[in-house]
Amino acid sequence: MKRNKEQIVVPSPTKRRFYGHGIPGAELENVAGRLIVVEGADGSGRSTQIVRLTEWLEGCGHATVQVGLKRSTLVSEELERAQQGNILSRTTLSLFYATDFADQVENMILPALKAGFIVLADRYIYTLMARDMVRGMDPAWLRNLYGIAIEPDAVFYLNVPPEELVQRCFEKNTALDYWESGMDLGLSRDMFDSFMKYQTAVQKVFRQMQATYGFTIIDGSRSADAINSDLQKRIEAVLAGKLVATHSS
Amino acid sequence: MKTFAEQKFPGRLVAVEGLDGSGKSTQIYLLKRWLELQGLKVYFSEWNSSELVKSATSKGKKRELLTPTTFSLIHATDFADRYERHLVPLLRAGFLVLCDRYIYTAFARDVVRGCPPEWVRGLYNFAALPDLTFFFKADLEVSLNRILEGRPQLKYFEAGMDLHLSTDPYESFRIFQGRILEQYLAMSTEFGFHVVDANQLVEKQQVLVRQLLSNKLDLDSFKRADGRRPSPPAPRRPSPKTISAESES
Repeated sequence: MKRNKEQIVVPSPTKRRFYGHGIPGAELENVAGRLIVVEGADGSGRSTQIVRLTEWLEGCGHATVQVGLKRSTLVSEELERAQQGNILSRTTLSLFYATDFADQVENMILPALKAGFIVLADRYIYTLMARDMVRGMDPAWLRNLYGIAIEPDAVFYLNVPPEELVQRCFEKNTALDYWESGMDLGLSRDMFDSFMKYQTAVQKVFRQMQATYGFTIIDGSRSADAINSDLQKRIEAVLAGKLVATHSS
Repeated sequence: MKTFAEQKFPGRLVAVEGLDGSGKSTQIYLLKRWLELQGLKVYFSEWNSSELVKSATSKGKKRELLTPTTFSLIHATDFADRYERHLVPLLRAGFLVLCDRYIYTAFARDVVRGCPPEWVRGLYNFAALPDLTFFFKADLEVSLNRILEGRPQLKYFEAGMDLHLSTDPYESFRIFQGRILEQYLAMSTEFGFHVVDANQLVEKQQVLVRQLLSNKLDLDSFKRADGRRPSPPAPRRPSPKTISAESES
């Protein structure tokens, strides 16, 4: 699609839906905004891409808002503390995250979509579900729980092999993250080992979910520039109201 | 969903349900004393949630941040915390656990708030059903009068003010409780509640409750190994109880 710098694409309202039972009292009729999700492990380049996409979208004249996990007014502080101490059991932590997510749907995502914003989600329910599934929780229970989620216009999953993720994590930090290494699962006492096993398991779950949720899998091993122009092209199509292909080349 | 017995737990869970002011807390207290004096392994779950979850819940209530969805989720989080840290270990250890309110409280209350019944039930299906549930059925006016006589300070959510039923907290509470009663009655057959006529005298009700419990459970199998009887508890705080303590669960 060729675009003149002076032209601003005006997205038309679309009929949206929830994945399941939805949220009592929430109407999704004639919502003009767009919901775009970027998924991927820590170190997959998610945050870099979101910063650049925001800049680009705003440059194109689109009002943009960002959401992500653990950012609700309601429970974000408590969730942060829960993770520091690792004191909550699985179902509890899972429901706590769902509360955080629901608060953002109602207070950030829905109002922004109604106001015609482009909502960029730095992770969404898929990460939450994948983490829980790796921990043995019932997929049917999770699907019911996250029936409160709005179906996005596009989901881009930045796929980076665990071998490369671990290298990138060490470029950013001196140590591996406890949770991103799945240490709570007791896969291995060796953190490196645990990281590799855990990330491999998470990627496997993402590949399984891909069929259900129609992610676009993006090759995250390329340069940030290459990934960004790939994402831009796909998002332009979303804004023009075209369907996105579910597989990337 | 299965009961603890059906899930092969050595312990058994007995729940009492009913409106605020139905007298259920008095009944379960008397039941507990009776069981303790027989030297049985009995535990009254006091619904202590972890500091973290409690902090989020009270913030949400105080600042009136909760919607039907987040109200439901944060209470499910709270329940999961107690269930996983408290109830399951006790039931694995073969205790007779008495609960003042269980999942049916959420089923009734969240549905009155407008959450889809299947969604709410799905949230709680990680929990086993009680082996025995007593429902204390008092006339709506009787329970309302017991609570409202003292003109207590009704809190926003416990009066159902978020439902905008009335601008008068007392009137709102009346309508709200009436709707909860309807939900309880609708669940009664489905979940096999043992309905106790709570308009009767305390002693009469207690006779029925003790009889039913002896018939349904093999109480001797819960004898403490040392045969020791617990020391008498500290005197109860004088009633009438404030409803804020009771309707918290």
